[in-house]
Order: sequence, then structure tokens, then C-alpha cells
Amino acid sequence: MDNAVIRKRKGLGFYLRIYRKILAQDIKSKMSYRADFIISTVGMICTNIAGFVSFWILFRNFPSVGGWGYYEMLFLYGFSLVALTPVQCLFDNNWSLRQYVYNGDFIKYCFRPMNLFFYFQSEVFDIKGLGQFTFGIGTLVYSWAKLGLAVTPLAILKTIIFLITASLVMVALQNAAAASCFWIMNSFYLLDLTMKFRDYSKYPITIFSPVFKFVFTFVVPIAFIAYYPSLVILRPEEAGVLSFISPFVGALLFYLSYKFWMYGALKYSGTGS
Amino acid sequence: MNLNIKKYFALTRASIITSLSFRLSTLIMIFGNLLYLLVVYFLWKAIYASAGTDTVNGMTFNDTLIYLVLATALFTFMEMYIVWEIGRNIQSGQIVLDLIKPMDYRQYVFWSYAGELITHFVFTFLPTFIVVSIVTHGAIPMSWNLLWFILSVFLAVSINNSIDYFVGGICLYTESIWGINIMKQVLVTLLSGATIPIAFFPEPFKTVVMYLPFQSIYNTPLLILLGKSGDTMETLSMIGVQAFWVVVMALISRGFWRLSIRQITVNGG
Repeated sequence: MDNAVIRKRKGLGFYLRIYRKILAQDIKSKMSYRADFIISTVGMICTNIAGFVSFWILFRNFPSVGGWGYYEMLFLYGFSLVALTPVQCLFDNNWSLRQYVYNGDFIKYCFRPMNLFFYFQSEVFDIKGLGQFTFGIGTLVYSWAKLGLAVTPLAILKTIIFLITASLVMVALQNAAAASCFWIMNSFYLLDLTMKFRDYSKYPITIFSPVFKFVFTFVVPIAFIAYYPSLVILRPEEAGVLSFISPFVGALLFYLSYKFWMYGALKYSGTGS
Repeated sequence: MNLNIKKYFALTRASIITSLSFRLSTLIMIFGNLLYLLVVYFLWKAIYASAGTDTVNGMTFNDTLIYLVLATALFTFMEMYIVWEIGRNIQSGQIVLDLIKPMDYRQYVFWSYAGELITHFVFTFLPTFIVVSIVTHGAIPMSWNLLWFILSVFLAVSINNSIDYFVGGICLYTESIWGINIMKQVLVTLLSGATIPIAFFPEPFKTVVMYLPFQSIYNTPLLILLGKSGDTMETLSMIGVQAFWVVVMALISRGFWRLSIRQITVNGG
């Protein structure tokens, strides 16, 4: 049967059903290494606590960072942690992409009658991201309460929309970095670099000089990961056009990174073994 | 004896050549470092701007910046990712082949990574050091402290290596690499003063940190290099503390490694 015909029949329902099945298998296999799961989760939480402690030490010595107070910075930190969850949980297989590509195993993904990108990413669900999610939510709620922000349905809705935005930007950056392995050796360093970028996203963009403000907004758009989205909630009076268009920026970046990833994947011709 | 040195030298040479062949990754690494330094610069500039005073806890903006920049350079140069290597070898079973090689496993891994240490020193630490010392117009004193610094770095590499082996030993029990390793990385970078200078730590915390081995890895060599280690006696006592940790950590990690290597189970092969 023609490939295109088959492809047409697959809707969202099909993919959700498949995802549930693959997820169950992955969780089962992870659960057989229970110690590893527990240690990884503890490790993840340690990382977050260390981030928290550095903020705490910093603000014991200094009143603010470029006009941003302790709780506002914590809000940014919590926000970026929560927004990080999807990229950590759902797209973690990107880290293994280069190994699959080098040793030729990637070809197995090319022969399944479904979306290549979907199948590849669905194979791994990283549970330890959930520990980080919990920690992030905790930080977010704590700073929310300390800042005395109002809790209205609208505020919560806004937060959710802008969290999704931030996640999309992060996923997009990671997809693009991972897909570079279709062209260059050792894409690990590029992935590592995007991870570093991700870390910088928790600082307010206003501390940078105009040139870098521009770079971090338009070239490597890390300002869309936490700064522009959280402005809407933290300092609505300062939120400009960039904050409000960020959901569209997120969606566009995700789409572009997906196209880039697929372009590389479809060019892939195996290693010949 | 002569033969001994020769075989280690061969390993080191091989790893220099390997690390030089990844030119693009080296470039990306250098770029990543530059970027990190920029972020650190802007961040601390903003922090000092809001402080109102020039000196906080005896550190000026320049001091802090040099400290952090060199800490990063030192980190890229000293971090050998040995735990990852041991972990991968455990999972793939390769470790069995390495263990039966006619040389000590720890020595084997260390010397095959020593080449990377050398290339990283030449390509990351040295350029950063030169740029910093030019840009800051002699904020780094150029006298005996350089000699002490080099000695101190050797001791730091040894402590770092011992910690890596201790953590590698834990991996032999848990077969979990990622979690253990990330915990180690976080603990070491925070408690060694690589992210925030130890001078800024609030009091009870600071005293505790000074009694731990981690501060000997980054804080001690950096203070010596910056000429903030006091007179010769004080510098010597700091190096003495490092030497103490070198011995203690070597003993602990060696003992623990011996104990845990019996634990190894390799599935298939």
C-alpha cells in the first residue's frame, strides 16, 4: 500500500495509544533498576538544592541582582525548573541520538510506519525529571506567596500558558543541537552548550549589555525560556510586545527545530553495517 | 622503573593525539567557556552594582571576577570525567579487560587521561590566564606565588582524582552512574568555591566547608595565585592542608576501591 495513504489514517488518537504502550514498556524496564531510579532522583534534587543554596549565599551578601530581589530571582529559578520538565522527561532520548547515528542503530527508527521524530522521542521517558518538577513547583509557589502575587484563575492560566511557551523554546534548542549529529561528529559538546545556555536563562536579561540582550533575544533566544514569559506574571507593567508574542515564538521555534531534526533524519542513510 | 615510565608516557601521548583530533569539539568547548565567562561577568557586575560598596567580604569586583574566571578555567582543565569513563566501562563490561591489563587499573585510567589534562591546560587554562592577567593590569602578582600555585594544582589534581575513584567505587555497588556522578559534581563545584567564592559563604557554613577536602581543589590554588594567601608561612600551611587531604583521600579511595572491586558483576561480555 502507498505510504502516504497509511500515514493519512493516523490521528492523534493513534499516537496517544502508541505512546501509552511505549511508555509502559519503558517504565517497566526502568523499574527493574530501582536503585538507579532512586539515586538519579536524589541526584536531580541535589542539583536543584545546590542552585537554591547559591542563590541564598548570594543574597546573604547582596541585596539584589540588577534590581531583582531574592524572591523574584527564586520565581525565575522555579519557573525555569518547571518549564524544564518536558524537555527532561519527554525528549531525553535526544542525548543518545548521536550514539544511535554513529553505530547505525538509528536505522531501526526509519522502518516504523509512523512519525520518525515521535517514535524516537517516545522511546524514553525520564522519570527523574519529575523530582525536579516537584522542586520547581515548590519554589514557584513559595516565591509566589512571598511576593504576595494574587492567586486568580487568570493568573494561573497565564502561568500555564507561559510555562508551555518556555518549554517549547527549550525543547527546540535541544532538538536542534541533537540533530546536529547528523552532520558533525561529537555533537555532545553542542548539546552540552545548550544545556549551559539553559542555565543562564534563569537570570534576568536586563543585567546584560544591549548587544547581549539582542543576542539572547534574537540569536540564541534563551530570554524566552524564563525572562519574557515570567515578566507577564511578575512585573506586568514592564512586559512588552516580546513577552506577549513569546507563545508564538515558542511554537515557531519548536516547529523549525522539528523540521531541522526531520531533515537530518531523512538524509540519514545508515552506516552500511 | 624506566619501563614503567615508558608505558605511562605512551598512554599519555595517545590521549593527547586523540583529544587533538576532535578539533571542532575543542572549538565549541572554547566558545562555550567564553560565553560562560561573559555571563559570569555581567552577572557579577549587576550584583556589585546593587551592593553600593566596592568591596564585599574583602573581595572587589575584580577579585571576584578573576577568581571565578580562573576557577572555571581550572575546572575545565582538571575535570577528567573519570567517573563517567568508569561507569561506561562497568556497564559495557570493558572494565574486566582493563583490570587484567598488566598495570594498575587506576594508574592506567589516570595516565590515559593525563594527555587530556595537558591539552586542556595548554588550550583552556593558559590562554585564559594570559588574557586575564593582561586585561586586569597586574591584578595577579607574578612572583613566587606562581610556583606555589603550580605545586598546589598538582596536589589539587591528586585530590580530585581520589574523589573520582571514591565515587567510581560507589558506582561499582549501585551500577547507577548518572545520579552518583551528578551528586559528586554538584557537591564539588559548590563546596570548592567554583561557583561562588568561599569568602562569600555565611559563617557557620563557611567554617564547615573549610574543614572539608573540597576547598583544597579550587579555593586554595586560586587564593595562592591571586596573592590572597597571606605570607609564606600561611601559604605553606595551606599547601600543608592540601597535602594532608592528598594523603587522606588517597588512602580512603584506594582502600574503598580495593574493597568494592570485588563487588563487580559484569553481565555478558
